[in-house]
Amino acid sequence: MAPKAITSPVPESFYPTLALLMLSVGLVFTASFFIYATTTTRRNLSIAREVTTGAVASVFLGFGSLFLLLASGVYI
Amino acid sequence: MIRSRGAPEKSSIRNPKPRQIAELTFTGERERESQSGVAGHHSTTMLRLDLLLLSILLLSTPVLSDVVLSKVDRRVDLTSHIVRITSTLKVENVGKGPASEVIIVFPERQAKKLAYVTAATNAGKGKVKGPTTSLPVSIANAKGLPPSLEAYSVSLPEPLRKGESISVDVLTAFTHSLKPFPEKISQADIQLLVFEDSAHYLSPYAVQAQSLTIKLPDSRVESYTRLENSKYQNSEIKYGPYENLPPFSYTPIIVHFESNHPFAVAKELVREIEISHWGNVQVTDNYDMVHEGSEIKGEFSRLDFQARPHQRGASAIKNLIASLPPRAHSVYYRDEIGNISTSRLWGDLKKTELIIEPRYPMFGGWRTAFTIGYGLPLGDFLFESEGKRFLNVTFGSPINNIVVDTLIVKVVLPEGSEFVSVAAPFPVTQWQETKFSHLDVVGRPVIVLQKTNVVPEHNQYFQVYYKFSSISMLREPMMLITGFFLFFVACIVYTHLDMSISKSSPSYLAKLQWEDVLSTIQQIEKLINKCLAVQDRLEGSLRDLSRSGDVQACKAARKSADGTLKELSKEVRPLLSFLQASPQAGHILPKVEELVAKERELEDKLMAKHTTVVDCYEKKVAGREVENRIASQQQKIASLRQEVDDLLEFIDEL
Repeated sequence: MAPKAITSPVPESFYPTLALLMLSVGLVFTASFFIYATTTTRRNLSIAREVTTGAVASVFLGFGSLFLLLASGVYI
Repeated sequence: MIRSRGAPEKSSIRNPKPRQIAELTFTGERERESQSGVAGHHSTTMLRLDLLLLSILLLSTPVLSDVVLSKVDRRVDLTSHIVRITSTLKVENVGKGPASEVIIVFPERQAKKLAYVTAATNAGKGKVKGPTTSLPVSIANAKGLPPSLEAYSVSLPEPLRKGESISVDVLTAFTHSLKPFPEKISQADIQLLVFEDSAHYLSPYAVQAQSLTIKLPDSRVESYTRLENSKYQNSEIKYGPYENLPPFSYTPIIVHFESNHPFAVAKELVREIEISHWGNVQVTDNYDMVHEGSEIKGEFSRLDFQARPHQRGASAIKNLIASLPPRAHSVYYRDEIGNISTSRLWGDLKKTELIIEPRYPMFGGWRTAFTIGYGLPLGDFLFESEGKRFLNVTFGSPINNIVVDTLIVKVVLPEGSEFVSVAAPFPVTQWQETKFSHLDVVGRPVIVLQKTNVVPEHNQYFQVYYKFSSISMLREPMMLITGFFLFFVACIVYTHLDMSISKSSPSYLAKLQWEDVLSTIQQIEKLINKCLAVQDRLEGSLRDLSRSGDVQACKAARKSADGTLKELSKEVRPLLSFLQASPQAGHILPKVEELVAKERELEDKLMAKHTTVVDCYEKKVAGREVENRIASQQQKIASLRQEVDDLLEFIDEL
């Protein structure tokens, strides 16, 4: 069986684009999280909405920072 | 003085500074020659003594007599600082039984410097050369052979029957075998080297015909041992042919010649190969380099060196050429001080060539240390077969013509790799370590291979096998996501915590009350927005009615809208009463009440309009009539809506 070459699951030329996209989406969600946290009064804060916004934001920020590190040459 | 056969004749060593007495250290012995007839000769007392012992022992040892070497051609290549000897042996079986191996021997002194030995054979007879097959060479038990000899055994592909012969090519490479003599030279002197070997091929078998050719670099030869049948022409010294020599015959010869080949020796080379499954193999080579030719004595004049580099510093190391694999990127060349800019890089599809110049030209005895690093695409080196992944990289240094005394290769595999094993084409010592790198929890497994006395022939591919599940690639993004999520959780905790110091001061209480008022207002706002949304839906249903004429659906929408609005107004009432009760809300209360009132008016007007339109449709009044009837209502609705929006904005900005 001829050995098959292994490459990255995501094509390397996409790294900078993906990094930019994911980071901007993540930052948008972060902004929404902070706006909600600062404009509503403490009594009206719903934890469910905060936690979901935080979770989605952290997923996008996590992937975005991973691709940012890869695109700048730090191969993790 | 014991003279063994073939005493060397020496011509005087030409030197810019003629000397009467030559001091030399060969095997640690010093001898002063004060005879004026011969101006300096080699102190070979120790050498001759042990050769005598060797020959005495050899003559008294039984020999392997069933194989005879019918023809031996040896070529010694002295053009570089690695001595490469190619011996073509024609092995003939004259004994009774089949011969399955050929023994090759080296004297112990030489065997210590043996870096690489390989054997091959050409199938096919006569002038037609068949495909070469390499034969396994292994260290053989030297019992039955005289001591101070090391034996290697070459296994033949099939046993040689009586009367058959086969041709075997043996290639050997020796390091540190060229001794600089004189050992110290000044910058303007030429570098002279001494090479010793035997004119007769040392073998446990009888040799019928043999010849030896020594290829020298294109410079002059100072002196060489003259025996019968020896001549020097075209930068080659030929010894032979010699016929019918007994086994273990040994005739020492010495060649003293000039060579300006750079003697680049790396005392230690540490190669770190780090794999990242996201697409990169990073190689970092740390060199500790020394020039092992004649040491320089006296001063180094940079002016002379730059004005006439070929007369003042011909044997210095001016640059090194490294052949990196193709598609190497991010190549850097630096040392402890920083980046070294004297380097050139160009690449094509077959290789990437890097020419580096050290910070100063290296003369004999000088050292330097530097690091070369480069990245390689993952797909060229990492493969998968039978459930295991393996990395296929070259073992040695990419720099051409370099000898490495100790080579350590560290292969760093990603976190989560298991069942690591190595397949190397030659014996190496190996062990495992751990390295903590980016985003590591438990550390990455590192497999370390070590080999001493490495020559460019060792630059072959070796494989490292390991198991890695693709899910483990998510480990790193998971760590980053968890990190960010913890940050958000901390923010949530902070916003929910009440961290004021005094809980009963009047300002704190006032703040609490104001917060309550604000929250109530926000809730009212939310409810009013819901009402407005319901009203919008109702208007939408009116538009649907004008398009489709479905009165029943419109009435149903009206009913549900009525219900929702009633509920919402019920919810608004307690909030409003709370606001009226609290003292802090004094200045906003009128606005809020106005908002609620206006909203209610808007509702009523909209309901009225809705009823009118539905009636008109039921009575099948023409479109224009409908519009006329509701015109005034429409105007009022529009203005009311505007006011409500303004009030909402105002409250928002509180």
